[in-house]
Amino acid sequence: MHIHRLEKIWLGFGLVMLFVFLAVLGVAAFAMGIQPPSPHHQMIDPTKVKETPPFDQPGIRQVADKEYEAVMTAYAFGYAPAAMEVPVGSTVHFTVTSSDVVHGFEIPGTNVNMMIEPGEVSQVSHKFTKPGEYLILCNEYCGIGHEMMATKLIVK
Amino acid sequence: MGTDSQRRKKGQFGNEPSLKGAFASVMLLGVFLLVAWVSVFILFLSRQ
Repeated sequence: MHIHRLEKIWLGFGLVMLFVFLAVLGVAAFAMGIQPPSPHHQMIDPTKVKETPPFDQPGIRQVADKEYEAVMTAYAFGYAPAAMEVPVGSTVHFTVTSSDVVHGFEIPGTNVNMMIEPGEVSQVSHKFTKPGEYLILCNEYCGIGHEMMATKLIVK
Repeated sequence: MGTDSQRRKKGQFGNEPSLKGAFASVMLLGVFLLVAWVSVFILFLSRQ
């Protein structure tokens, strides 16, 4: 089978690109832990969110030095707890579920962006190295009040 | 012998179409893909 010289060059270029991209993503995911949200699959009964720990007591708790766990529920049309505060340099582990419909959970300007589905527990962690007011926004249409659904994380 | 297919069967190359234009277009697209991928990856790392 005859492959033209130029075809060999561009096919080679494409293959190299593919392997480089896969290697970069592979190293990031497995050696550096940079993975999509919710690395561990956890389910919950969506009709019993308010009675199921830890969502029976949503809130933000310190678990280690500069490390916090934020257990949150998303509902139409807000998040519990509302505004939270952490010191700068903290890593926050967000554990979120929905008590009604599908919601989103995004902190613009960061890589925090995930779906909150009833029946599923979603997890993502982020280290806040710069002080400021971070918006936690619902970016998945959830009903009539969707555009108002947001809360704040204050990093001091 | 007249046609390219007859010439190829005889082990000689016929009149091959020039792939220079195709090569340029493919490499242009490839460079665009590379630049777009790297840009988005850098943006991702900067927000991490």
